[in-house]
Amino acid sequence: MKWAQKLKSDKRLQWAIVGCLAILVIVLFFVCLFVGSAQMSVKDCFDALAGKSTPAFNRIIHNIRLPRVIAALVAGAGLAIAGLIMQTTLGNSMASPGTLGVSNAAVFGANLSMIAFAGGFLTVGKNLSDAIKGVNPFAVSALAFAFAIGSVLLILGLSRIRHFGSNTIVLAGIALGAVWTAGTTLLQFYATDVGISAAVVWSFGDLGRATMTQDYILIGVVGASFVAFWLLSWRYNALLGGDSVAKSVGVNVTALRLCSLLLASLITAVCVSFLGVIGFVGIICPHVVKRLLGSNHVVTIPASLLTGSLLLLTADALSRTVGGGSALPVGAITSLLGAPFFLVMLLSAKERR
Amino acid sequence: MLTVRNLTFGYDKKRPVLQGVDLLLPDGQIGVLLGKNGAGKSTLFKCLLGLVKGQGQIVLDDKDLGKMRPRERATLIGYVPQDISFGDLTVSDSVMTGRLSTMHAFCSPEDRRAADEAIRLLGLEEVRDHEVSKLSGGERQKVAVARALAADPQLLVFDEPTGNLDIANERLVLSLAKNIANERGISVLIAVHNLQFAFSAGDVFYMMKDGVIAHQGGWEIVNEETILDTYGIHAQVVQINNKRSIVYEE
Repeated sequence: MKWAQKLKSDKRLQWAIVGCLAILVIVLFFVCLFVGSAQMSVKDCFDALAGKSTPAFNRIIHNIRLPRVIAALVAGAGLAIAGLIMQTTLGNSMASPGTLGVSNAAVFGANLSMIAFAGGFLTVGKNLSDAIKGVNPFAVSALAFAFAIGSVLLILGLSRIRHFGSNTIVLAGIALGAVWTAGTTLLQFYATDVGISAAVVWSFGDLGRATMTQDYILIGVVGASFVAFWLLSWRYNALLGGDSVAKSVGVNVTALRLCSLLLASLITAVCVSFLGVIGFVGIICPHVVKRLLGSNHVVTIPASLLTGSLLLLTADALSRTVGGGSALPVGAITSLLGAPFFLVMLLSAKERR
Repeated sequence: MLTVRNLTFGYDKKRPVLQGVDLLLPDGQIGVLLGKNGAGKSTLFKCLLGLVKGQGQIVLDDKDLGKMRPRERATLIGYVPQDISFGDLTVSDSVMTGRLSTMHAFCSPEDRRAADEAIRLLGLEEVRDHEVSKLSGGERQKVAVARALAADPQLLVFDEPTGNLDIANERLVLSLAKNIANERGISVLIAVHNLQFAFSAGDVFYMMKDGVIAHQGGWEIVNEETILDTYGIHAQVVQINNKRSIVYEE
């Protein structure tokens, strides 16, 4: 049997690969914890992790590196499964975590907070020179999240009332996303130079922004969604055969689609509002996994989860080492790292007719 | 026994598609549903499968399908669509999706045994690890039948199964349907356009027109008069070597 076919059908081999991915993720997690601008040895790091090193090192590990690395681990995992579930439930291989316009809405919300409220034109007594001082990270995240969730609920609500098919949901997502982007452009047009730079930097996507509290929220949302998605694996498999086929085996397709899209968008909303826009993880990881391991969601859901973590942890490690002291935007690294690999994979595969 | 009584349904209230369908299909027999495009065949199937909810009664072996939950109903009726595509899913995983109505979150040994049995029955052992999308049309049709049989249903519904197939595969579907009906005692309902295929397959014939079944019975009800009434074309049924055939008039 050819290897490609064996990978897609041999369950033991697939679980062995999932196991290897898990080990890789754990190793990389610690590698990322050890990489940074402060000169700390591996022993220092372990001591600091246990709280037994110098106060400075303890603080670096617990307040700076651990929140960042956990954010990479969980956000990568979350964005990858969100992308996979979007692709399956919308029957569209181009779907990504942001397909319903969630990311655009979050960016608009964050811009609104930074440009219009924090010392901007909506606040009393404009403080043009020192706008960034007024930026409250909590308010930025909160407003980003509120707009992201509002946007999703609007689309899913409309789709429920008007019985949208999956293609109409995608189109509605694109349309609404365009509205948010236009809103962002208008906001930035009226922004001060300080405000606009804050907004642009925010949209880069930065794991360093994460706090432990945000990490706990991320873990809760991604963990619960993963369990829900995994338990529904066979329903997603049936959905690959089309709506009628899935319905004929008793799947409530409308409910499955709405709940899945809501959960996937919730993951995206939380990730974007805490960390900014991290592109490409949600589209590349599921595709790599599906090309290698086939489409059975029992395997692809955990495999995508781990691949997402792997990509974002690698990107994080690279962004810290290549930048020379200042971390490069991790969103750019994921794309720079993932896209060429993905292209090679696409080019090397025999095109199906 | 499948009994449908006074089934009505419309996508919008002003234009009902089904206007009181009455249908009787005994156990282990093949019923052939004939009719022009738009006569309501597909809609009737959707009602049977529970994809849409019609008014009236659908009873299968004394069980009222209208009062059942979708999953319960799915254990009784297997659906064979015109073509099947399951992305990169392998044949064995695709067949396993047919067990979903009886499955808990993940497949049990019992589910695996049933899926394997369906794969064996259709002679798909050699391609069980292949992706469905890479199979030929005839093999895909077999996968569709295996998937529908995996839940051990009492009624199998084929929606225009010969549309994309060559003659050899058409005969294959015919023999599959006959074996299922004869050996397993499952009732089979097939919607087709090909009258020749209908004559070879059917025990009971239903000719559908404008949302009702206008003619119902054995092969003799398919004749010049009813063909003209159902399809609006002239054709004759002739017997050659004790087999019925159809001759269309120019």
